[in-house]
Amino acid sequence: MGRMVLRICHLYPELMNIYGDRGNIIALKRRCEWRGIEAEISLLSLEDKPDPRLYDLFFIGGGQDREQEMVCHDLQKVKGEALREAHAAGACFLAICGGYQLLGHYFRTWKGEVLPGIGIFDAWTVGGETRFIGNVVAEWEDGGGRRTLVGFENHSGRTRLGPHSRPLARVKVGHGNNGEDGWEGCRCGNAFGTYLHGSLLPKNPWLADEIIRLALSRRYGEVELEHLDDSLEERAHAAAVRRAAGKRGG
Amino acid sequence: MQPRRILAVNLANLIGRASRLLEKGGGTTLPGRVALKIMPDLPERLVDELEGGCVLVTGTNGKTTTSNLIADILRRSGFKPVHNRHGANLIYGVTSALARDCGPSARLRGDIALFEVDEATLPEMGRRLRPRLIVITNLFRDQLDRYGELESLAERINAGLRMLEEGDLLLNADDPLVATLGEGTTLRVSYFGMEDGGVGSDATAMQHAADSKFCRYCGEPLEFKRVFYGHMGVYGCLRCGRSRPAVDFPALALSLRGVEGSELLVGGWNGGLSLRTRLPGLYNAYNVLAAAAAARLLGLEADKVTEGVEGYSTVFGRAEWIEAEGRRVLLILSKNPAGFNEVIRTVTEDAESGKTLLLALNDLTADGRDVSWIWDVDFEELVPFSREVIISGTRAEDMALRMKYAGLPEEKMRLESDPKRAFLAAVRSAPPGGAIYALTTYTATLALRKALAELGYVRGYWEE
Ligand SMILES: [Zn+2]
Repeated sequence: MGRMVLRICHLYPELMNIYGDRGNIIALKRRCEWRGIEAEISLLSLEDKPDPRLYDLFFIGGGQDREQEMVCHDLQKVKGEALREAHAAGACFLAICGGYQLLGHYFRTWKGEVLPGIGIFDAWTVGGETRFIGNVVAEWEDGGGRRTLVGFENHSGRTRLGPHSRPLARVKVGHGNNGEDGWEGCRCGNAFGTYLHGSLLPKNPWLADEIIRLALSRRYGEVELEHLDDSLEERAHAAAVRRAAGKRGG
Repeated sequence: MQPRRILAVNLANLIGRASRLLEKGGGTTLPGRVALKIMPDLPERLVDELEGGCVLVTGTNGKTTTSNLIADILRRSGFKPVHNRHGANLIYGVTSALARDCGPSARLRGDIALFEVDEATLPEMGRRLRPRLIVITNLFRDQLDRYGELESLAERINAGLRMLEEGDLLLNADDPLVATLGEGTTLRVSYFGMEDGGVGSDATAMQHAADSKFCRYCGEPLEFKRVFYGHMGVYGCLRCGRSRPAVDFPALALSLRGVEGSELLVGGWNGGLSLRTRLPGLYNAYNVLAAAAAARLLGLEADKVTEGVEGYSTVFGRAEWIEAEGRRVLLILSKNPAGFNEVIRTVTEDAESGKTLLLALNDLTADGRDVSWIWDVDFEELVPFSREVIISGTRAEDMALRMKYAGLPEEKMRLESDPKRAFLAAVRSAPPGGAIYALTTYTATLALRKALAELGYVRGYWEE
């Protein structure tokens, strides 16, 4: 087998990147490169229509209100159909915060305005009066042993999951999806949604690898990823857990 | 006289002196907090008595440097400004500064008030202090976890400015968001901006840190003809036709000399005003431009502006050269993506190639608890210039990880969370006569300064 290529579609990179979410793309790219896998990244913005067969991984970050409205409109008019098709065909998705909300059924703002989503996640979001802001530590629920996720949340939306979604993780510190049911994030098929900025993947490298593996397997069958030295990643992960518990660094 | 006022001022000063004696940092907010408890309208009462009125400077980046420059120009012009020099810029810090400049009879020993104020506090400060001049340098994404997002901040500033009846408003024409802040006010609005055609790059080079790229009136993406840094540039909206306003105080020519400073020619004065500054980088050229324009609006003389700008070098931690063990150390506060990218650009312009860097990332409240923003900074640019990178701060591990993913080999980085040990490691890494570049977030700058004071390389900032 020749060199593997991971085809990543970065959706709305200049509109949906409010809290360093592009760090996730940097992490995916580097972790592929370090293993001799080529990461091909395509930037798709407003009006660009993705070919659903071309990409194995779609990424969308969070944005400010105005950007979110523009993206909502574009998803309805231009990209929604193709993204649903890609998802049904097994493509991987990683959606953070605002992107997570827009890939659900809808987002109803605090004022009652409704932004329709594209229904990749069986989930819906309602704006809350206060913002959830702070470090998050959550325990992974989606199989694969006991793992923790660390990140930083900053959202007013309260997301609830329908029966076709399963939650990603149980919140230990922070608020997660809605601050009530104790869940953080969601998974539908190969689509992952979460509120965690941070950036998420550099500090949770095992999740980055899980996503790379899933995305590659669509084209190359079961793949085994070469082991990387993640000691620095693990230190940063541990430091984030410490800071979330309110302890000083060191 | 008013016993309540005398009590408020003197108690505040007593607390301030005590906390300086106990070396609890500068003691910059507690005195004001106490004074306001005793007399809630103390700041406006005090400022009302000043003949020269009040000047407020705000913006995400550069407000401390800009207001310190204006203060120096005022002093050279014979004024005695009452000024929150150490940058405690919420109402408590401002009140502490006011109390500190009062005599025992609780009257201000000065003739004009000059305050840098936090962007989110501007409406309250404006309402209280009724300034004769407000300067707004720029609005970048900074500590969004405290203030909500950029546009709602602009809305609140707008609303605050519309409550004011008279005075001057000086805005940055190159920042599309700041340029709209004059809308709907009865204030006299003027603009400063970059007009040297050789500065900046075309719009394709827009950085990840660009925050404000949409027309505030119709939502259309703005067309940028030039980009100076972040989202600052020459722009216009193709849908509704709004564009960058005409500039009253242009930088007609600018030559940047890396970390040594820059020279600029400022219009709006007869024959232009030639200024030379030791402050490095394009972002500091903007601060000088804003200060010169403010001085013009305050009716100050050209030669005082020249002297003030040229004589100005050290601002605590903002861009300061110090000497340590035969090494030159440049301390630069770097606290958000746009600012950090400019600092990186300035540092990499410096000829020396194998640089020793000290990066310190803190996540305390004053820094913003969210460190996600480091992934928006182009640290990749720094990697080819790095000999060794010493990494410190409460989130040192996050910064180290960022450098790893930026392409820095792990053998070139060293984690040292303690600021003193981190600094000594940097000294060992740099050759004698060489330079150390310390790029640090707000509270990490304070911690490094404190470590340097303990090592005897600088004095504590409360002694200045
Ligand atoms: Zn417009």
